[in-house]
Amino acid sequence: MDKEMAIRKFREIAHNPYGYLQELKTNTGKKMIGSTCAFTPEEFILAAGAHPFRVFGESQSFSGADAHIQAYGCSMVRGMLEDGLSGKLDFLDGVVFPHACDSIQRLSDIWRLNIPSLHFYVLLPVKLDSSLAKSYFLNVLVRFQKDLGKALDTTITERNLKEATVLMNNMRRRLIRLYQLQSEHPGILTGADLSAMVKASMVMDKREVVDLLDVVLAALSKSPAPDKKIKRILISGSVCSHPDIYKMIENKAAVVVWDDLCSGSRYFEGLADENKNPVQAIAGRFTERYVCPAKHLGVTFQMENLKKLVNEHKIDGILFMLLKFCEPFSFDYPDIKTELEKMEIPFLLVEMDRHNEVDEQMRTRIDTMLEIL
Amino acid sequence: MISLGIDIGSLTAKAVLLEENNILEKHLIPVGYNSKKAGDKLFDELLQKAGIRQEDIGKIISTGYGRNSIDFADRAVTEIICHGKGIYFQMPHIRTIIDIGGQDSKVIVLDKNGNVANFVMNDKCAAGTGRFLDVMARAMETEIHEFGLLALQSKNPSKISSVCTVFAESEIISLVAKGENREDITSGIHLSIARRIASMVKRLGMIPPVAMSGGVALNVGLVDALENILETKIETTPF
Repeated sequence: MDKEMAIRKFREIAHNPYGYLQELKTNTGKKMIGSTCAFTPEEFILAAGAHPFRVFGESQSFSGADAHIQAYGCSMVRGMLEDGLSGKLDFLDGVVFPHACDSIQRLSDIWRLNIPSLHFYVLLPVKLDSSLAKSYFLNVLVRFQKDLGKALDTTITERNLKEATVLMNNMRRRLIRLYQLQSEHPGILTGADLSAMVKASMVMDKREVVDLLDVVLAALSKSPAPDKKIKRILISGSVCSHPDIYKMIENKAAVVVWDDLCSGSRYFEGLADENKNPVQAIAGRFTERYVCPAKHLGVTFQMENLKKLVNEHKIDGILFMLLKFCEPFSFDYPDIKTELEKMEIPFLLVEMDRHNEVDEQMRTRIDTMLEIL
Repeated sequence: MISLGIDIGSLTAKAVLLEENNILEKHLIPVGYNSKKAGDKLFDELLQKAGIRQEDIGKIISTGYGRNSIDFADRAVTEIICHGKGIYFQMPHIRTIIDIGGQDSKVIVLDKNGNVANFVMNDKCAAGTGRFLDVMARAMETEIHEFGLLALQSKNPSKISSVCTVFAESEIISLVAKGENREDITSGIHLSIARRIASMVKRLGMIPPVAMSGGVALNVGLVDALENILETKIETTPF
């Protein structure tokens, strides 16, 4: 397999993730356990011999979900519910609901009442960085391990968990390397392809992901770096898997060189310590790394993380992609805005629904920001 | 060198031929349903009007929502950048621009060199746009170019709380039923749109002097209402 074939495969799976999962279930007979958020400790699902995948909210109209969730619920959560209600996830055996934001918590209840499947909670502490939170979170994970093992009629051993931790780390290392390559040689991959590769990694068999990423990485390390003067963009916010947005940015001689998105780096950033007891290592990964605005770490934390990314990746401008009604992100934004204005870094906030077409108004805003840079 | 600026907006397509700093010719047509067709038609008619050929033009810049459909342009630039350049060219002292177009409204802050420093755009609904004024003028049975003058005649503007085009129209029907006079209702409409624009200006942070561009700058009633709310003079372009 060559690089183009590998990327095409990622693209196809990102385009039709549930088709891939249905086929995987038919071929392997594995239990399919969906996750609704990047806080899901997927290692436990792997160690239980099941297949973890992200429920994306692929549905584009929410006629079923709208009967349960108000229109001011975010389109991610409404889309996930619609996927479940409309039968798109009929291959699914269970779902994990980490208690990250309020919307996912409410989705969990609605799901339990309306969609027959196994139901797992990961009751995250409100603050992840206190010493009490660490011991609490360890207990939560031990409970999840037991609940999952019992429901899937298996015992999750330390050895299996360790293997799963190594496998997830291997995938994460490769995705991190891919992002680093894009930052070192902007345009080495199109933003749309990179985004599709991360999305596909969230649904695919992790060993297959590692193998395909090895093919891509080997080819990229040999390919010459594009030598163009470009503007370096950071996308921050909720999700952005719109190929059109990346294309729009690239048409203006700019490249997204890093992101801080739930559909991007938040999935793979941070490694679990392979020398530790695996439950502790998994807990450590979640409590030590920066994750998502849903876990508030004070008004300065988000900004410090952004500053770090801006410096590390020599960012020229920041595009905030906000999923409409994403409260955790909106709460942080005023502080971020004030700080960025002081730092005189150009930035733009764009609000959108998960499946909104990229319209001309949005194009005008984004084009203008890129023309100002 | 002769240069051409062509703006395919949401409602109208505009073109200006410039030779150095002088306007040679200008033209305006409705966009209709196809921006590319409108651009081609506008271009042909303008060339005819000016009596020149395409080869005589050194540079063509397109802007507006249909900017990317103009395949004969050398470069497409957003209208936000163009409003900044245009106002700086005509009035270099201006730092804040209010542009109310057919489909959206924008507030643009320029730096001292006339570059766009920041901007905010309302594109969520028709409220606060030229389209809102069109609908309201029709409801008041007046021509759009007389609408602002009518507002200036009011001594006691009606209270219109809704800024939504659809709700405001039904609010106006209630005011008509109550027997409020046309000038007062019209003035109320202008104040409601001005309040909405003023909140955008405040959100971005107004730096005086302020100018208004776009077709709605011709509406004296709205310019007056905005001057009162923002407590600043608003200049308009001579073109």
